[in-house]
Amino acid sequence: MKILIADDDALSRRLLEKTLERAAYAVTTVADGRRAVEVLSKPDAPRLALLDWMMPELDGPEVCREIRKHREQGYVYMILLTSRESKEDIVAGLESGADDYLVKPFDADELKARLRTGERILHLEDRLVEAREQMRFKATHDPLTFLWNRGVIMDLMGRELTRSQREHGCTAVILGDLDHFKNVNDTHGHLVGDQVLREVARRLLQSVRSYDFVGRYGGEEFLTLLNNCPPVSALVRAEEIRKAICTRPVQTDAGPLGITMSLGVLLSCDWGHRPADELLREVDAALYAAKTAGRNCVMQAKPEEPRERVPTPQPAGEHFR
Amino acid sequence: MNKANGSEASCVNWSELLARVDNDRELLCDLLSIFKREFPEHLQALRNAVACNDSALAARVSHTLKGMLANMAVTKAADYASRLERLARAGEIASLGGAFDAFEKEVQGLLPEMESYTAEARP
Repeated sequence: MKILIADDDALSRRLLEKTLERAAYAVTTVADGRRAVEVLSKPDAPRLALLDWMMPELDGPEVCREIRKHREQGYVYMILLTSRESKEDIVAGLESGADDYLVKPFDADELKARLRTGERILHLEDRLVEAREQMRFKATHDPLTFLWNRGVIMDLMGRELTRSQREHGCTAVILGDLDHFKNVNDTHGHLVGDQVLREVARRLLQSVRSYDFVGRYGGEEFLTLLNNCPPVSALVRAEEIRKAICTRPVQTDAGPLGITMSLGVLLSCDWGHRPADELLREVDAALYAAKTAGRNCVMQAKPEEPRERVPTPQPAGEHFR
Repeated sequence: MNKANGSEASCVNWSELLARVDNDRELLCDLLSIFKREFPEHLQALRNAVACNDSALAARVSHTLKGMLANMAVTKAADYASRLERLARAGEIASLGGAFDAFEKEVQGLLPEMESYTAEARP
């Protein structure tokens, strides 16, 4: 484990360094408080720190206060080293944000035991952060496909539309719905249906850039947002998504199944300042039009114009069994 | 008996110091070398601070010396440095001169004792 030693006394620094290296710590040493703050503020910084109380630039308690200001960083367990032994000093040191203190000259065994206490606290923090991240993931993702859930993808859509308007760009909103998915569930059961949904989610993610968004909008409906997307390439991308779903059968426990998707696509730059729910209604209508037009195709929503079927290079409606 | 081998007049508690470095003679020689380099500079700074009645500087330097001496198991001299620090912090300028003289007398034989130890430890 990494540890920082900050002490202006070269003798004390060397003694601590050697003692901790023997105890298998990866040691960094600095001679003043300012450098200590710099090192502890870097990414991947040590999370254990031994700070001398009296140092040039910033003293130990000042370093503690500085580090505690930045709550977004991972927790740093800080021990003040001091030859000041009055109760007032100890209270002041702990109030500054130090976790513990040790009186010089230190006893090596006591120092190591106190550092192990620090490691236990850090381990506990890691577990709490991990649990919080898991909760956050569960609250924002669909548990079956691991795509963004409906609430999040709707928020993202609102945010992206605002950003497009501000930057005079264009966001493509693509609503896709699997064709005859009810038949898959009815014929092969819901477990096979789930396998299809998971594979479709995987193909959707593979079809977009890392900074685009894909969410599960409903049962077999998926909402995709392509950010900063020029109108021409948005339609090409929607067509690529359609092909990504239909060109290869989905492998399931019931064997390979031919799956197709109908898609409605809408370009935010065609619609001016319209609220997200209104645009969703429009793209949903385009999706409905794609269903009516025979499924496995892309229809574009355009204001006050008949819906245009995006030219499909290959015949629609291929099914694999 | 040589001071470094543990005579009564020894300034350094060598057994305590050896325990502190976990009997690592190489580390001990490192520490002695750092001490011999830094101690005279701090001593001179303290002498000047006391001569100029600069209690703030005297408090800071005597604090540093106290830490160095305690780390090197020079217990009695560390106590003298601690007294100097207390007096300087309290602004008792009049008592600083006498306290410094006592401290200087206590550390008079320190560096030769360390030199002697280093010479004996050398292969």
